Amino acid sequence: MALKYVGKPVRRVDALQKVTGAAVYVADIKVPRMLHAKVLRAGVAHARIISIDTSEAQSMPGVVRVVTGKDCKLLFGTCLWDQPPIAVEKVRHAGEAVAVVLAETALKAETAVKKIKVRYDLLPFVLDPLEAASTRAPIIHEKNGKYRRVEYVIHPVKGSNIFHHYKLRSGDVGAGFAESDVVIEESFEFPLSSHSAIEPHGAICRFQADGSIEMWASNQAPFVLRDVLADMFKVPTARVRVHIPYLGGGFGGKSDISIEPLTAYAAGFVPGYAVKLVLSRKEVFTSSLVGRGMKGRMKIGAKRDGTLRALEAEMYFSDGAYGDTSWPVCTVAGHNCTGPYHFPNSRVDVYGVYTNSPPVGAFRGYGHPEGQFMAGRMMDILARKLRLPLWELMEKNFLCEGKKNALGQTITRSHGDLFQCLAEVKNAVFAGVKPKNDDKYLYGRGLAAMMKSPKMAANSSSCCQLKMSADGSVFINLAGIEMGQGSQTVFTQMAAEALNIPIEKVKIYHDVDTQFSPWDWQTVASMQTYRGGRAILQAAERAIARLKANAAEVFKCPVEEIEYNGECCYRRDDPEKRLSTGSLARGYMFENGLTVGVPVHTTGSYRVQGVTEPDPDTGMGNAAGSWTFGCQAAEVRIEKATGKVEVLHFASAFDPGKVINPRTCRGQITGGVVQGLGAALMEKIEFREDGTIRNANFGPYKIPRITDMPKKFTVKFVETPNKEGPWGAKPIAEHPIVVVAPTILNAIRDATGADFYRLPVTPADILKALLKALKEEK
Amino acid sequence: MPALTLKVNGALHTVEIEEGRVTLLDVLRDKLDLTGAKLGCGVGQCGSCTVIMNGEAVTSCTVLAGKAESAEILTVEGLSDGYTLHPIQEAFIEKGAVQCGFCTPGLIMRSYDLLTRKPAASEEEIVEVLDKHLCRCTGYEPILEAVRLARKKMA
Repeated sequence: MALKYVGKPVRRVDALQKVTGAAVYVADIKVPRMLHAKVLRAGVAHARIISIDTSEAQSMPGVVRVVTGKDCKLLFGTCLWDQPPIAVEKVRHAGEAVAVVLAETALKAETAVKKIKVRYDLLPFVLDPLEAASTRAPIIHEKNGKYRRVEYVIHPVKGSNIFHHYKLRSGDVGAGFAESDVVIEESFEFPLSSHSAIEPHGAICRFQADGSIEMWASNQAPFVLRDVLADMFKVPTARVRVHIPYLGGGFGGKSDISIEPLTAYAAGFVPGYAVKLVLSRKEVFTSSLVGRGMKGRMKIGAKRDGTLRALEAEMYFSDGAYGDTSWPVCTVAGHNCTGPYHFPNSRVDVYGVYTNSPPVGAFRGYGHPEGQFMAGRMMDILARKLRLPLWELMEKNFLCEGKKNALGQTITRSHGDLFQCLAEVKNAVFAGVKPKNDDKYLYGRGLAAMMKSPKMAANSSSCCQLKMSADGSVFINLAGIEMGQGSQTVFTQMAAEALNIPIEKVKIYHDVDTQFSPWDWQTVASMQTYRGGRAILQAAERAIARLKANAAEVFKCPVEEIEYNGECCYRRDDPEKRLSTGSLARGYMFENGLTVGVPVHTTGSYRVQGVTEPDPDTGMGNAAGSWTFGCQAAEVRIEKATGKVEVLHFASAFDPGKVINPRTCRGQITGGVVQGLGAALMEKIEFREDGTIRNANFGPYKIPRITDMPKKFTVKFVETPNKEGPWGAKPIAEHPIVVVAPTILNAIRDATGADFYRLPVTPADILKALLKALKEEK
Repeated sequence: MPALTLKVNGALHTVEIEEGRVTLLDVLRDKLDLTGAKLGCGVGQCGSCTVIMNGEAVTSCTVLAGKAESAEILTVEGLSDGYTLHPIQEAFIEKGAVQCGFCTPGLIMRSYDLLTRKPAASEEEIVEVLDKHLCRCTGYEPILEAVRLARKKMA
């Protein structure tokens, strides 16, 4: 049957609220008896707290309470419990909370914060992950290795700052290099960066006298947040309620637990009051979570014909003051640093290292951009060494049906078609003649391929509740968070399609509330369409079965004789005998009131299939439930006088199985590409001599503006149906950011002849390289 | 407490202003419950707080409340009656220019400012004003298309 809604550019269901200013975000929420919180941040990177004098602040007008970490014994986490909600005795990064003022207004709280006096005993600090991992480094956590943790997945090195060491051992790397004709090795750097969702993080928390906790938060993981709060304050999970309004962008920066424990800790001192904390933009940089932060080295070996034989990689992540949010980044970086290529022998070591920066958390595609930045550049370098066109080298080694990835998982056709993705971007960017360099500009083209296999809990699931009204309209409830990606719209399309009813009759409940919403692991890893779609399909199938059963009772016939067409149920052999879905939705009521059947209220659920945590010794296993493959290519123009890179054309081709909504899907690609351009060309968190962040706001920290977007976008989708996904769909959302940096750096190399290994590549870097080349020519 | 009188979306309001740094954005959001304008950076870099003040687009997070005395303000809530959309709002929906929506009200007000002053704004003029805004979701392509469409609708 032809699809009515799936695959169509249906308008966003949340757009009307968003263009009228009616959409509610956490900062817009007011609740009764609400106090405003402002936080004193340490301002020093690593120190012992000698004393905190809050007396003057406490006596300021409008101040209800000043809270510090004195006597705080709480540690929170999901797999590694290494973080207190507020600094206790010691601060480990300059943005850490030291005291919180709760006052009648935000302004009064802010004024009082300035009156708090703290004396510190400064300790040496370390920001570089290699230095921090060395034996000479100051120890940031004396208890590293002793904290409560999930031992199967986190592997600390006691007595050091390394809180997690992931290792992958597949095949025989020594033999692989020995049989290689060409071996290349390079070092790379991907700096710390800010997710820069335009909405700053916020949370509101209220404790009741009976110990129950209610929270509103800008968070992608309501049920994780609920569980963390319950664990932290030792209350039954059922006594914690978390509401999530619209999110003003997430990109992973709101997927981990960050400011919520602090908000709850402060609220615990003023039961009955609600406490609202909304970060300033500066605090988003200094005191939420940051992303990336990798220094690495990669070595690959190949036969003369281009067949890859071995890969060795080492990555050190500067993961900041706490490790619970960053250990998965390390593990995934290890899993995926091969890129979408078959290496029969791999040896990878990834170290999560405590440093004195804000903690690192998930950031769009986490682990993949860091590792595949290296792989994407290495393939370009290798192709030149072998004098092979890059695409030939890529094609020769692509993961495809029957080949194994480094984790030992066998790729099937259902996982996607890299060859077609490559053909699409090659055709878009490389088909025409490259413009000739002139007095003013150099031109270059670059290419890279990616894969993404998200890190997920082995029980990662989505659930759906469906109820039908007496007019046949349907209410769908899932806990997928709408943060811009368009999940509400895609859920609506899939529900209407599955039930074969007009899309106007479907309403998705958008305020997620752990009290009413069905359980969902969390909105991460581009999984909502994939998982939520399967849950919707099951709930819809059950609703249709219920409608048919109700009709069968009315007609007193076997249910197998009932057909459903979206509007009504009818007898197959006598289509005149029909009942509207609405009339069956609450059971069927005869004229005299006699009712048969039961209400149509169903559920559906879906769990990712066959996922296991990697084996602790080899790092191998079925760690990914799905893959999405893609290729990107770019043409750039570099102004010789300034070193400025202009992206003339950026082409992307992904294989998301089935595109549920071409418009929102394209929006994910263009948005992800531009974010990737930010990482490639402009974004980097910089530190002052004293360990504080120098560029903690938009302006000094540059993210792409409209004048930075490519002059032309090509977006293509290859649709190889996936066996598991709803209508064959696979995850697509984070993917377009993964290899933008190597694509652009390969194009810069093509234009200038200079290889760059460190992000971002700024005009100054390019000018320096051009000058160097000029000198060498002379 | 000092008081401030201003006209917002056609209605006259007098509000009390706290001591200290209070901005026009604070007044709109906290005193008048007009939460369409958003605080994204507090320094006028992201444009999420953009409203029309005395006929000109301003970043309301950098306008001190005192400067808005007797001013006439238009916010996204005043752009339509909530049932019939303004052509710019329609264009943003039709072109898929909305993702997370946090930057949207600011962009719409900036576009309103441009297209009411210059109904035949050139491509360069559109890009120049949109360059004052940050959007982290869309990659800007659909926003540019939406403003082009709005220009057509308003012509």
